[in-house]
Amino acid sequence: MTTIWKEPDGEKFALGSIEEQAHWQKEYQRILRAVREEADATRPAERIGRDSHTVGMALPRNDALYKVRGKARYAANIPMEGALFCRFARSTEAHARIRGIDISEAKAMPGVRAILTADDIPADQLLIGTLTDDTPVLAKDHVRYSGEPIVAIAAETEEAAEAACLAVEIDYEPLPMILTPEEALAPGAVQLDPDGNVIGDLKLENGDIEAGLRAADVVVEGSFVTEPVDHCFLEPPSGLAFVDPDGVLTVMVCTQYPHYHHKQIARVAGLPMEKVRVVQTVVGGAFGGKMDNTVECAIALLVLKTGRPVRMLYTREEVFTATTKRHAMKIRQKIGATKDGRFTALDVEYLADGGAYRSYSLVVGGRCVIHTGMPYRFPNSRVHYVATFTNYPPSGAMRSFGVVKVAFALESLIDELAGRLGMSPFEIRRINGLVDGDKTSTGQVIHDVGLLKTLEAIEPIYQERRKALAAQPDDGLKRGLGIACLGYGIGYSGIRNPSTARMRVTADGVVTACCGTPDIGTGSDMSLAQIAAQSSGVGLHRVRVVSGDSTKTDDSGPTSASRTTYFSGNAAYICGQDFKRQFEEAVARARGVTAAQVRIEDDRIVIGNERLSFEDACRLISAEIEDICGYGKFDPEIEASILTFKGNPYPTYVYATHLVEVAVDAELGRVDVLRCWAAHDAGTIVNPTGAEGQVDGGVAMGIGQALWEKVERRDGVILNPHYRDYLMAGAKDVPLEIKSIFIQNHDRTGPFGAKGLAEVSLIPIPAAIASALHDAVGIRPKRLPMSTEYLLGLINERARAAAPAAKAAAGDGHD
Amino acid sequence: MTIEISLQVNGVSHKFAVSPTETLVDLLRRRLGLTGTNKDCGMGICGACTVMLDGLPVSSCILLASQADGAAVTTIEAIERDGRLSPVQEAFLRHGASQCGYCTPGFIITASALLAENPHPSRDEIVEALKGNLCRCTGYKRIVEAVESVARQGGPT
Ligand code: FES
Ligand code: FES
Repeated sequence: MTTIWKEPDGEKFALGSIEEQAHWQKEYQRILRAVREEADATRPAERIGRDSHTVGMALPRNDALYKVRGKARYAANIPMEGALFCRFARSTEAHARIRGIDISEAKAMPGVRAILTADDIPADQLLIGTLTDDTPVLAKDHVRYSGEPIVAIAAETEEAAEAACLAVEIDYEPLPMILTPEEALAPGAVQLDPDGNVIGDLKLENGDIEAGLRAADVVVEGSFVTEPVDHCFLEPPSGLAFVDPDGVLTVMVCTQYPHYHHKQIARVAGLPMEKVRVVQTVVGGAFGGKMDNTVECAIALLVLKTGRPVRMLYTREEVFTATTKRHAMKIRQKIGATKDGRFTALDVEYLADGGAYRSYSLVVGGRCVIHTGMPYRFPNSRVHYVATFTNYPPSGAMRSFGVVKVAFALESLIDELAGRLGMSPFEIRRINGLVDGDKTSTGQVIHDVGLLKTLEAIEPIYQERRKALAAQPDDGLKRGLGIACLGYGIGYSGIRNPSTARMRVTADGVVTACCGTPDIGTGSDMSLAQIAAQSSGVGLHRVRVVSGDSTKTDDSGPTSASRTTYFSGNAAYICGQDFKRQFEEAVARARGVTAAQVRIEDDRIVIGNERLSFEDACRLISAEIEDICGYGKFDPEIEASILTFKGNPYPTYVYATHLVEVAVDAELGRVDVLRCWAAHDAGTIVNPTGAEGQVDGGVAMGIGQALWEKVERRDGVILNPHYRDYLMAGAKDVPLEIKSIFIQNHDRTGPFGAKGLAEVSLIPIPAAIASALHDAVGIRPKRLPMSTEYLLGLINERARAAAPAAKAAAGDGHD
Repeated sequence: MTIEISLQVNGVSHKFAVSPTETLVDLLRRRLGLTGTNKDCGMGICGACTVMLDGLPVSSCILLASQADGAAVTTIEAIERDGRLSPVQEAFLRHGASQCGYCTPGFIITASALLAENPHPSRDEIVEALKGNLCRCTGYKRIVEAVESVARQGGPT
């Protein structure tokens, strides 16, 4: 193995010379100061100018400095002398046996340096996966979706690798395809996996469903259909692998979970874990789509094969055709309620298309099952979730793990029920909404429940808009309002998922906080720095967060499930306290006073009547400053049965109520979302700039998913693998009037009372839009996306149904 | 076959021998190491690769290097001046208009070109100008607000 190059210490930005770095840090601090001075104008007097007390302040993120300058090191932007470029030859069949692979022509092509097939990987190292090792790094003799990688080629240029891939000859024996879960479950269906066609069959029962339905005065039911969606992170999967000067196989990659890849690559390459390092690069968006293996294993193996650095960047078409998608799902649901609006029963069945391999289908299933009925009291419920394999790309994790669809079905039916009972959408939710001390369907007793406060925040706005709409002059458009709520568990479902943090300080006073969960573009590094600073008492300006590096941070799980603020934030909080104690003790020893006489207070060290600057204190304790190592581990007790889901699956929950206002052109079926108000109980908000940014982005994604976004599939092929045909919202398509309201509902278990937010702002949007459409034009959409054709169909159907009735009414005077 | 072209990039004149299929984005990234210009769709739709060509924003992924012969190209690397962020860059930073940041250089180029042309655009004009740039993270609101804040101050210079 040749030694190549070493990435400068965990740096995610191309910083330039030392002078330049110092200069730009000063520039950032100048801007930060200006923003803080503006913010101080509205802060309580005791907090003004306090450098360590920044939790709750809207601050510009430090990484944005490099992003606006074009210096962010996405994997494709990392310079590397002599790197080869990798490409996959992918299956053109959705389901087939591979009879033979002929690489002779490809091998002879100019610039080709190595070709990798499954035969190069020992059989017991070939399979990888997130929960189950079921996915081959390269398909061996069986392909399960069109786009599945079969051959990896490393060549001198991207073009040479591409040309060589086209020259690979693969001899297929086509097999019957499974295109829907129904086909997968049909008797005699061809079996896609050695364990059959079912990925998961999950059930949760609570109370007595039959009795609950009998007790109901009204029952509403409906069947809902949702289509697969792509994450559309703008940065395609990308990575760079090389051997560093210490002989460590280093893989730099855009990922939500570097420690996962670390284990997988070590296993696939047959190397001890200490010989592999995975460094997360700056991530250009993820949304759940950067949790599975894409480029990682192939480039790592090709480095070992060629002795040269290897890089890879997917094309946009590859992103659409060969990365995970949100599950297509069918939902059948029934709700019972009494005349006075109390829910008595909830009966739900999910049938999910899991695609070719397991990926996160079980996690999505578990979350859907537990969240069915959230955030309401249902004394009796029955939930059944089945996911099957099909011959499409694997369905995986995506922002909310399926709960957006759970909410779409549930909130739509609640809206219908409210209408049937003549109740307002607020009243029915107030009657049934969870409050402190209630039990969820898993039997968990919950606390710090801010749901009703979010309803309260939205209701006056709703009333006011109602009046405004009534006064609106007729412009041919129909306007409507819709609300939807959510309750969402933070962290993994039902299994422990600890986070840790470590803090150290250099003799010149720079504090480094190593946190395991990476920043995937949400600004979590900034929030963690704020928490670590406030907890330890040091100034925010001296805290540097290092995250997402398998050698520098502990495995703290992925940045997913909205868990970073809460889990890693708590770890950073505990760690900050530990650091503070150790630092104070060291100062006390150096001064010969008791530890109780020393404290770090707002970036200064107070010893009796004396005050030292932090730098002076560091000099004072320089002999033992290296011994200081703050450590924090947050590992709340979480327990739920994997069979019945009973127990306490999450340490805390986030709640929200969203309101949207739409305008519908009933002739064209065109919908414009004009305004949105999003009230969240996400606990204390650590950085409002970051939090509002998450909400804005979630709302925009929710609108896209509600109205346009759909991966079009036919006969095993994805028909729209480009932005041209896959309609993602642009600046003209989404409202700029998105108002975030944060109910600052202090969570007793969160760091400074914080919970988390990233996924949830998307969840209620499709349901709220569907209800607003009912309000505007009287239709009840049950499909996502609610395409123009679909909506026009519903509008026309309703007009036809109304026409004879109107005629009859006009004819004989009866109603 | 190669084509000789001359190109001014960020104020510096260059001569290149390019292949007929070489795109401008590849030339900037590979030959000049100007990786601030990101690449995503390669089809002229997402705007991640936007650069200024003689002052106008263009998608550098669908422009052949040979088509740019004789032009002046400005990339994100040349937007900052004398060690200070440009007003547009500073506004993006302050307003939280950059999250994952992959789209950010493209938006900053587009916004800077707009403001050079029209220092006080209305909100509608801003949205119209930005419609060719996609962003998955921010929902556009803070991007538009950032550009508006500069428009209120009076242009990008
Ligand atoms: S990469 Fe050029 S427009 Fe998308
Ligand atoms: S900030 Fe991520 S795509 Fe715009």
